[in-house]
Amino acid sequence: MAVAVMFLNNACLRGRCCRHKVLQPLLGTFCADSMSKCYSSYRRPGSQPEVTPSWRNIDFSFKKGINALKTQLSLLKKETKDHLTGPDGHSFSHYMLEQTKVMWVFRCQEDLNKWVISSDVEIGGKSEVYLKLGRNNQGAMLYGILNTEVPRDGETKYSGYCSMRAKPAVGSFARKKYYDWSNFNSLYLRVRGDGRPWMVNIYTDPYFSHQKDDLYNYFMFTRGGPYWEEIKIPFSKFFLSSRGRVQDDQHPIWLDKISTLGFTLGDKVDGPFQLEIDFIGLLNDRAHTEEFAYETYERNPRI
Amino acid sequence: MNPHAKLISTMSLIMGTSITMSSNHWILAWTGLEVNTLAIIPLISKSHHPRAIEAAIKYFLTQSTASALILFSSLTNAWSTGQWDITQLNNPTSCLLLTMAIAIKLGLVPFHFWFPEVLQGSSMTTALLLSTLMKLPPITLLFMSSQSLNPALLTTLAISSALVGGWMGLNQTQTRKILAFSSISHLGWMIAIIIYDPHLTILTFALYSLMTTTMFLSLTQIKVLKLSTMLISWTKTPMLNATMMLALLSLAGLPPLTGFMPKWLIIQELTKQGMTPTATTITLLSLLGLFFYLRLAYHSTIMLPPNSSNHMKLWRTNKASNTPTAILSTLSISLLPMTPLITTMF
Repeated sequence: MAVAVMFLNNACLRGRCCRHKVLQPLLGTFCADSMSKCYSSYRRPGSQPEVTPSWRNIDFSFKKGINALKTQLSLLKKETKDHLTGPDGHSFSHYMLEQTKVMWVFRCQEDLNKWVISSDVEIGGKSEVYLKLGRNNQGAMLYGILNTEVPRDGETKYSGYCSMRAKPAVGSFARKKYYDWSNFNSLYLRVRGDGRPWMVNIYTDPYFSHQKDDLYNYFMFTRGGPYWEEIKIPFSKFFLSSRGRVQDDQHPIWLDKISTLGFTLGDKVDGPFQLEIDFIGLLNDRAHTEEFAYETYERNPRI
Repeated sequence: MNPHAKLISTMSLIMGTSITMSSNHWILAWTGLEVNTLAIIPLISKSHHPRAIEAAIKYFLTQSTASALILFSSLTNAWSTGQWDITQLNNPTSCLLLTMAIAIKLGLVPFHFWFPEVLQGSSMTTALLLSTLMKLPPITLLFMSSQSLNPALLTTLAISSALVGGWMGLNQTQTRKILAFSSISHLGWMIAIIIYDPHLTILTFALYSLMTTTMFLSLTQIKVLKLSTMLISWTKTPMLNATMMLALLSLAGLPPLTGFMPKWLIIQELTKQGMTPTATTITLLSLLGLFFYLRLAYHSTIMLPPNSSNHMKLWRTNKASNTPTAILSTLSISLLPMTPLITTMF
């Protein structure tokens, strides 16, 4: 059986166009060729065609494997030392008394590498987004052109977004790490925008895939500059959304397990945009006592 | 929560625990465990927060897996020996499966990963139930079948639980996770002695439940979910803060507080049984827990102004006085002189 599959596969390897018509309906999942996905042969307009099979991308070099192991072990050693020191590698009294913390600052290329930019190109749109260091290496500049033209693929209805998102923290051996922001109650951003409204997104990386699209959002309205502005967004204002839809059942964000932060622009206005970010920090604003801004009343009161 | 639903959940919890504790047949014991699992799910997911739902799903998956393993263990034992009695577990494979299943149920290392997450996703009261009442049926099953279990495996589970519980608890900043790792560590002590003196396990569990209940009730009263909030609790309830500090030190096992009693008796029994290296190892590992309990106690009670605190001071607590907390605090601090009386009861 396996030999028959291999034979058929090789025979049709060059004629990829007919494979989907002939082999896919006949053999389905038995055609486990790396060139085709078993579940769908559709490729999104913006995504690159897969030229090399995935197994070819694996580097079987023994020396590189040893070096990677050494790197991971040294990371593990550092993590162990930090664990003995205190939360996040700082002393316990530092944790108990901290009132402000700078999470991300943009001063060199390495700081930019901690972020990922994306736009609607991945769904076939035409927006452009770039990220570079600002003048005198003070701050990051996220700029580009927003284009709301909808890709002509018959299924996409809306387009026109650009975003920048922090890469999730990764520990030794590619284990996920989370930020503990429970000591703080506000996000503090020093930005210089162009007057466009941005959305700040916080992702808490849930364990199960049912909630993987859950995101906590709030708006950041920027002025046009030339002055830097310091924007404080309390965490109590963030609302829960899933796949971009605001949820009816709202809950405050729990700050003990934060994965990433991101900025999205999707204000449906074609044209260039620019956002400079000096740093992103956290603040414990003692004047802010609100716990949650939405739906704090009891929805089904017992009479 | 709807009072009828709450009543049904509570009654089911009591019923499930009673069924398992009073049963001699594996099927009945398994039924009680399943009733317990299902009854606590609505309590965990009561707030409908995504993290609470996540905790409920994790709890359900782990407990169902463990229950299935228990059933499988009892079935293989019944198949090979014809016995359904819990105390007649003679098949080695069944014993191994049961040990693994109980380890999953209790949250022993290496099956402990679900426990802190589930506790963190639940409310304080539900976390208290998960740490005390929900552990009672599995401990009962272990108690009844302890003579058939593999001592080396149990000792390994015990030492690794004490190690991981102490190590992971070191840098926790959320109180429920701290108490979760404390629970894992205490379970290690309970499992270490179960082969040699199962009654000591029950005594340790009873005293652990007492001290943990004190802690949970105290933390619920002053609404402390993270450590930095503990800094300002002394302004409103100085007496509760003082008793909470003593309860923490009792959990750590410091003499002359109650928590020293089980540790002392376990070390004595292990030494009598020739398990001196085990006793030494587990005692040294409990120093990790002692470190973070002392740190907690210091930061909650001894750190006073003029240092600045990070939080707005509490306006008021839930109640002016809380009788159960007072009684439990007293018991969790001052039971050590009554050790001879208590040991005769177990």
